[in-house]
Amino acid sequence: MSNLSGVSSIGEPEFLKLVDVSKTFGSHRVLDKINLTVSEGEVLVIIGPSGSGKSTLLRCINFIAAPDEGEVIFEGHVWKSRISKYNFLANRRYEQKLTALRSEIGMVFQNFNVFPHMTAAQNVMLGLTKVRKQNKDLARKAAVEALTQVGLADKVDQYPDKLSGGQKQRVAIARALALKPKVMLFDEATSSLDPELVNGILEEIRRLAKAGMTMVVVTHEMNFAFQVAHRIVFMDEGRIVEIGTPEEIRKTTEPRTRSFLSAILN
Amino acid sequence: MNSYKFDWNVIDKYFPELIRGLGITLEISLVGMAIALVFGLLLAMGRLSSMRFIRTVANAITQLFRSIPLFVMLFWVYYGLSLKFHILFTEFQAGALALGITGGAYMAEVFRGGLMAVDPGQREAAMAMGISRGTTFSHVIFPQALRVVIPPSVNVYVGLLKGATIVSVIGVSDMIYVAQYVSLQTFTPFELYSVAGIIFVALTVSISGFAWMLERRLGRGRSD
Amino acid sequence: MTSAEPFFDFTSVWSSMPMLLKGFGIAMACATVAIILAIILGLIVALMRLSRIKFLRWFAFIYTQFFRGIPLYVLIIWVYFGLAIAAGVNLPAIPAGILTLALLNSGYLSETFRSGILAINKGQVEAGTALGLSRRNVMRHIILPQAFRVIIPPLGNQYVDAIKDTAILSIIGVPELMRESKALANLYYRPFEFYTFAGLLYLFAVLVVSRGISVVEKKLSAHSAQTPATIALSK
Repeated sequence: MSNLSGVSSIGEPEFLKLVDVSKTFGSHRVLDKINLTVSEGEVLVIIGPSGSGKSTLLRCINFIAAPDEGEVIFEGHVWKSRISKYNFLANRRYEQKLTALRSEIGMVFQNFNVFPHMTAAQNVMLGLTKVRKQNKDLARKAAVEALTQVGLADKVDQYPDKLSGGQKQRVAIARALALKPKVMLFDEATSSLDPELVNGILEEIRRLAKAGMTMVVVTHEMNFAFQVAHRIVFMDEGRIVEIGTPEEIRKTTEPRTRSFLSAILN
Repeated sequence: MNSYKFDWNVIDKYFPELIRGLGITLEISLVGMAIALVFGLLLAMGRLSSMRFIRTVANAITQLFRSIPLFVMLFWVYYGLSLKFHILFTEFQAGALALGITGGAYMAEVFRGGLMAVDPGQREAAMAMGISRGTTFSHVIFPQALRVVIPPSVNVYVGLLKGATIVSVIGVSDMIYVAQYVSLQTFTPFELYSVAGIIFVALTVSISGFAWMLERRLGRGRSD
Repeated sequence: MTSAEPFFDFTSVWSSMPMLLKGFGIAMACATVAIILAIILGLIVALMRLSRIKFLRWFAFIYTQFFRGIPLYVLIIWVYFGLAIAAGVNLPAIPAGILTLALLNSGYLSETFRSGILAINKGQVEAGTALGLSRRNVMRHIILPQAFRVIIPPLGNQYVDAIKDTAILSIIGVPELMRESKALANLYYRPFEFYTFAGLLYLFAVLVVSRGISVVEKKLSAHSAQTPATIALSK
């Protein structure tokens, strides 16, 4: 078992903090008062059965899903999904500010969500030119560099429909990393990949972990989770059931965590 | 006894005029389509707005303007609006506006379908990068919707082109107007209307055929 | 009469209500008769397009393209002011209008019917043929009843279009809603009010028909999955 750098590499303990985050779809409470703290440089892996609210939780961190209640504290700034209950325009203006938070947090999706009408390079350049306001030449250089780092040096000017699932996901990772985010969110990044392509993407995530990137990772790959995580969060029915180091989770006596793990590991 | 005297020479003689009239039909239908594109996109965005009030209003406008016959719309704009609000529309302007309003309601439907066809993950991905709402729409969502939207838009245009033939009733000197005018002098309505009809059928059938081809080509490129 | 004219004044519209409603009734009647004729014509043309005889297929194809391509306004003046005059036929306005609408709509409906028929699972035909039914009986008892359900929504849209299209019949003097509105708008010099009201009546008709269609659609789909006949035949 490869034990990662451990607690020693972890910096600022309350780098990213979720306070009482709740979300309801219709009558279904997807997230119920979630409280969670992520330290700088920490790799936090969220596991749990499907429908437990993992993906929604991830989306509430960067507000691409708006939590109904609660706040996200990042580097000491407090963020909410809206500032006024009734003033629509004020909320619209506030939403523009949220883009600042989002540009500090990279996200990689299950379905890649690469932009099909743009080449790999253009996918990466969009954020650089529109969010970081870089000029095209600079952005292009950075894009080529980011794509090279994920092993796509020869696919820079390809459109996504010419790329495999694994390559698309690499484009998505390069697209997020090019913005030099301080946190990365991975939402089941390998779930839509053919089995033989899974390891390549996991390797990319592992590489980032070694480089000290702060990450929140939702995954079904349990072996990977136990290898790479500093702490593991087990969620069920919109609540955090248990948080602990891989060692603690492995030895847990909590019945729901145990039954989930035994079902998955066997 | 049938006393009608066929005289196809009249077509030779007035052909340039008929074609000039056709030019005006094309012009007014294109201006109408331009209005319809802008108006339709605004309506579609309204119908997909996150604000319930805007959605309701946009839906109602779409339903209303789709239900009113173009012919009624034309009279409503040219006689009704202009008299009530003292706007002196030229015949051409009134015609283009009526086409634009009716076409806009149809385009609203087309745009809405196109925008909804774009995977919601695309918006999420752009948002997650910190890209603003406006840029997300213009650089990510709209270009993808466009591909779905083009073939049905051509069909809406064909509808407007056919609809544009009625503008002669308010005095726009299009091909039908020319045919009417000439036949009053030569008393050869059959020849003139037949030729006008054939020209129109040729035009609309070929544009529709083009839309059909486009649909197949764009449809094929989509699989990935 | 007061000297101060109100900006919007619908009193003349209210007092003309009987005429307007009569015009509306004529419009609806024209659209309804035309769509019934169009269904019959369209069905014949659709069957011709699916025929084994090449000539019939070609004829039906050209028929469809022609009537889908020609603007109603052009067709109606061609029929009424061109063809009738050239042939020396004194065609009354209402039949001429209905005929024109029917021809135009039959072009669209034949396409609708054809795709509806083609949408029926091939296994249904095979099952019917295997039972020893003739080609004609397979069409009549198996394909058409099923195709009918697929066809209801586009048929409803076509009916809505036909209602809207009746406004153009005013050109040849059919005393329908638009014709009456025009006359009254000129009489009272209130075009805005009369055309607005006419527009709302068309909206009303469209909403009622659309509502009716969706009710029929729901009713049909409730027991459309498998009727006893199709179950028996598909076994």
